[in-house]
Amino acid sequence: MHVKKYLLKCLHRLQKGPGYTYKELLVWYCDNTNTHGPKRIICEGPKKKAMWFLLTLLFTALVCWQWGIFIRTYLSWEVSVSLSIGFKTMDFPAVTICNASPFKYSKVKHLLKDLDELMEAVLERILAPELSHASATRTLNSSIWNHTPLVLIDERNPHHPVILDLFGDNHNGLTNSSASEKICNAHGCKMAMRLCSLNGTQCTFRNFTSATQAVTEWYSLQATNIFAQVPQQELVEMSYPGEQMILACLFGAEPCNYRNFTSIFYPHYGNCYIFNWGMTEKALPSANPGTEFGLKLILDIGQEDYVPFLTSTAGVRLMLHEQRSYPFIRDEGIYAMSGTETSIGVLVDKLQRMGEPYSPCTVNGSEVPVRNFYNDYNTTYSIQACLRSCFQDHMIHSCKCGHYLYPLPHGEKYCNNRDFPDWAHCYSHLQMSVTQRETCIGMCKESCNDTQYKMTISMADWPSEASEDWIFHVLSQERDQSTNITLSRKGIVKLNIYFQEFNYRTIEESAANNLVWLLSNLGGQFGFWMGGSVLCLIEFGEIIIDFVWITIINLVALAKSLRQRRAQASYSGPPPTVAELVEAHTNFGFQPDTAPRSPNTGPYPNEQALPIPGTPPPNYDSLRLQPLDVMESDSEGDAI
Amino acid sequence: MLARERADERRTRIAHSRALDPLEPRARPSSKSCPQSPILAMAPGEKIKAKIKKNLPVTGPQAPTIKELMRWYCLNTNTHGCRRIVVSRGRLRRLLWIGFTLTAVALILWQCALLVFSFYTVSVSIKVHFRKLDFPAVTICNINPYKYSAVRHLLADLEQETREALKSLYGFPESRKRRDAESWSSVLEGMQPRFSHRIPLLIFDQYEKGKARDFFTGRKRKVDGRLIHKASNVMHIESKQVVGFQLCSNDTSDCATYTFSSGINAIQEWYKLHYMNIMAQVPLEKKINMSYSAEELLVTCFFDGVSCDARNFTLFHHPMHGNCYTFNNRENETILSTSMGGSEYGLQVILYINEEEYNPFLVSSTGAKVIIHRQDEYPFVEDVGTEIETAMVTSIGMHLTESFKLSEPYSQCTEDGSDVPIRNIYNACLLAPDLPSFVLPDKDGGEMWMCPVRPASTSRSQLLQLPATPQLDVLLLPTASSLCPGRAGLPVCVQGSLQVCGPQGVRWTAGLGWAAYTHTVPSSLSFKEWTLTTSLAQWPSVVSEKWLLPVLTWDQGRQINKKLNKTDLAKLLIFYKDLNQRSIMESPANS
Repeated sequence: MHVKKYLLKCLHRLQKGPGYTYKELLVWYCDNTNTHGPKRIICEGPKKKAMWFLLTLLFTALVCWQWGIFIRTYLSWEVSVSLSIGFKTMDFPAVTICNASPFKYSKVKHLLKDLDELMEAVLERILAPELSHASATRTLNSSIWNHTPLVLIDERNPHHPVILDLFGDNHNGLTNSSASEKICNAHGCKMAMRLCSLNGTQCTFRNFTSATQAVTEWYSLQATNIFAQVPQQELVEMSYPGEQMILACLFGAEPCNYRNFTSIFYPHYGNCYIFNWGMTEKALPSANPGTEFGLKLILDIGQEDYVPFLTSTAGVRLMLHEQRSYPFIRDEGIYAMSGTETSIGVLVDKLQRMGEPYSPCTVNGSEVPVRNFYNDYNTTYSIQACLRSCFQDHMIHSCKCGHYLYPLPHGEKYCNNRDFPDWAHCYSHLQMSVTQRETCIGMCKESCNDTQYKMTISMADWPSEASEDWIFHVLSQERDQSTNITLSRKGIVKLNIYFQEFNYRTIEESAANNLVWLLSNLGGQFGFWMGGSVLCLIEFGEIIIDFVWITIINLVALAKSLRQRRAQASYSGPPPTVAELVEAHTNFGFQPDTAPRSPNTGPYPNEQALPIPGTPPPNYDSLRLQPLDVMESDSEGDAI
Repeated sequence: MLARERADERRTRIAHSRALDPLEPRARPSSKSCPQSPILAMAPGEKIKAKIKKNLPVTGPQAPTIKELMRWYCLNTNTHGCRRIVVSRGRLRRLLWIGFTLTAVALILWQCALLVFSFYTVSVSIKVHFRKLDFPAVTICNINPYKYSAVRHLLADLEQETREALKSLYGFPESRKRRDAESWSSVLEGMQPRFSHRIPLLIFDQYEKGKARDFFTGRKRKVDGRLIHKASNVMHIESKQVVGFQLCSNDTSDCATYTFSSGINAIQEWYKLHYMNIMAQVPLEKKINMSYSAEELLVTCFFDGVSCDARNFTLFHHPMHGNCYTFNNRENETILSTSMGGSEYGLQVILYINEEEYNPFLVSSTGAKVIIHRQDEYPFVEDVGTEIETAMVTSIGMHLTESFKLSEPYSQCTEDGSDVPIRNIYNACLLAPDLPSFVLPDKDGGEMWMCPVRPASTSRSQLLQLPATPQLDVLLLPTASSLCPGRAGLPVCVQGSLQVCGPQGVRWTAGLGWAAYTHTVPSSLSFKEWTLTTSLAQWPSVVSEKWLLPVLTWDQGRQINKKLNKTDLAKLLIFYKDLNQRSIMESPANS
């Protein structure tokens, strides 16, 4: 009860707005507001009044428009970019090194024996078809061949291309093959790989314009097939071991050896070794620019033991990347040549972005709808990992097996001809598919931190002719404990990786428009055009509330009068009381609900008199409070 | 607060009313009540004023004098300083307030001016997009322009004379490799050396200033004082004898002599000068035939996992590099794009570089040149190419950076070049519309336009008229750029052709087939830049060489009948390292 009374009182206080009609309210507002325009509207002559009215309207519109622009700018989440260049002590990048050949030929020979024999026969057949007829009859593993054979397509007659199996007369029994093959070496023949699925019923041809490509692609497909069936542990053993590959290592002034490298198995290049990966121990910093403070490596690639048909390029694959990130060395790696010293000056080019909603990027990839198969390596998110995972996902989905080059989710198997006879066809189809790639690109998001290592690469012959002897002696002694030279210029690579004089260039994003910016701009515009502040807005809000109240009061009065009229329809209406009359005529002289002022310094003598000439209203509080209270309490009951 | 101010105002009014006319501006309800009776007794100026007041009744501030008006303004304005001026009592205070107000106004004006001037500034934003990227156009040229066997008959005399020069200068022994050339020499024995007659190769002795010995005649010649050392402003040449040659205009009264510290440079420059002259007289179709065909140059081609061949390349002919082939620049075809990073999804090409067909005097290095550029951009073979070594794989990883600039008034950029006086240059190039025109970058960051001017169709007067346009400086063909006779504006006739030196050593030769025009062209609005990371590795490897070379020979068998050697081949990989594209964008800093 008490509370209700208090609330009522509050309401009454609120209702005691600055007037009882709209006009009164507006005049009061214009006169008392702190925004500059409205005051002029009411206290000037009619012409100026109009002008001021227009001006005020115009500026209000202007302010609203500007506010719209500012708010839109704020909501566009723009960023400003700051760039800094210089040298500072930084973590040395992680360095991944791989041999261009994934395996030692001497160790994988037994696996590739059949395939190599077949390949040699194919080459013989291509190069000298008439001679190889005899040798082609020797025992070959026909199952490999029959699964995905290489064919010659004779396009000399463009309307009737003739497809010839390379060993056609032996296996498929195609007629007139030998006759046309002899001529087919000339212009107009091209090679293709036949990929079949559904038990050889549905076949596609993958065309090549050169025999080199055809045989290389064919061989690598077959080799993939073979290696996919070998458990990874065995593959690691067949690849180059760290102690054989890394002959010497020096970081700054501190010696290091192959134990400082983390080994991972990268299907394309076999064993890869990562220096300073930062997975288990802290990353090593480098505090000085220059060769002397960087990483110096001497590597042996053992070029003589390369798998001859698998890789035609000899050298070291090398990549610089961030700590704890997976090296996608096939995409981003560079080559280092044997018999040379390759010096690589590094500039770390870092781009740090704000993330949502400022830039469309992801901080850790958690919101990307692709399962990351590289999570097993415990590496950070990268777009390459996402794309490859996405591809592998599609592969598993459509071919039912995973590709050998990408990591495998649990419970799935790598593709091979024995278990998944259709995989080559399926893979080839998927690899060429544009939609697959676009889906993946659409799904993956780039990482917010993009670090590129800008490299300045220079090369020199190494070892020099004068130093050749002793260097080879020492290295041979260290590696093989032999007094003879077991190394050659073709096999060794020297690498220097170091920071350049300026070792970082950081581009950092920061929010261009923050809340403070927004508020100060809103305030600035409002102040500039109309001289207002937030309090003016509150004043405006107050007026609106008053408007609402007046409306409610009027409505209530209307309703009441209607009810009364219905009740005493016979009467023309009650005779007006004094209070009502006074109200009807004198509300212009309403007094705001402010502290009482001394009558002789009354603040509004002019203002009261000016707009509407007439007698100043007396203080009718005693007269009008009584009926008003009755009315208001009623209205309040209706309103609530 | 309001109440207090008003009270203040009231007090001031009272205070002033003592000194001033007790006219209360606010108290005056309308102009009509203004006293009108004194008009008649007033001066004519006042009369007009009063008349105006009468005819144009003003509502609002009622101020018969400026002072009153100011007072009224100061009291009623919303700016804050003014009011204080009126309200303050005491001269010092008033002056202080006037000072403050004026300072504030001045500051506002200054700041506004600064704002207006800095309106057209830009802010730069760097963004990274991950998306499918357009593959750039790749132009591949052999370093050697023409097959030596094909052009030999044109260059026989020149070769012969070059050999003679080498022999007399350095005692160069007879070439064993090219003995057949020597047999020619006996035929030409009696002939007058025509090349060295026109531009004589000279040897200068340090101790005999102004004297030079002609190689061929052995005669000592008098050389006038204008001796131009190549790069003499950079280094002081200390050697005892220098080699050079002399360029004279037709009447031989005005000669310029060029000297080089090394005979290699001298002979190469001399050879090039004659070579250009000879080749300029050969029609383009013939030159294209003398150069390498696409099938010959490209042994294999592989893009984005799919085979490609010579048909994917377009030919363009470069005077110093012969036939060049551009990949991914086919007109009316969609630009190829990459949706995967890595070398296997890029362009893989094996090039056949036949070292036996190299011109021994023109080029001294072996390999190919590759330029990565935008499809609509001219490949600046001479300036920005990456050279490729034989028996190697050159792996070029790319990162794409795209820059967008704002056009006028933010920077000096042109959207399509229409607002740049290039039209003139095009028109000039139309002198020989059937020959290709070139755009080359200038040293000063502008562009240099090279277009052919056929000697027959170009009269002397025509040529001299060309540089009349002030923006156009005319430049001569690339090699002879070292041969400016030096005096600005003076035409010199060299070998029947005309050379004009522009103001800052900008030169122009006509008659040799090319004239070039330079103009600092504002850079375009958006440009793509490919940051390249080039690395080399041995290819083919020792073990794969055995099978790879025969297969490549088989592939190439259609064009050549020769077993390929690994030094005849070069492998090139061009690929996107990743699909991140950095965009550097300018946006207006102010709105």
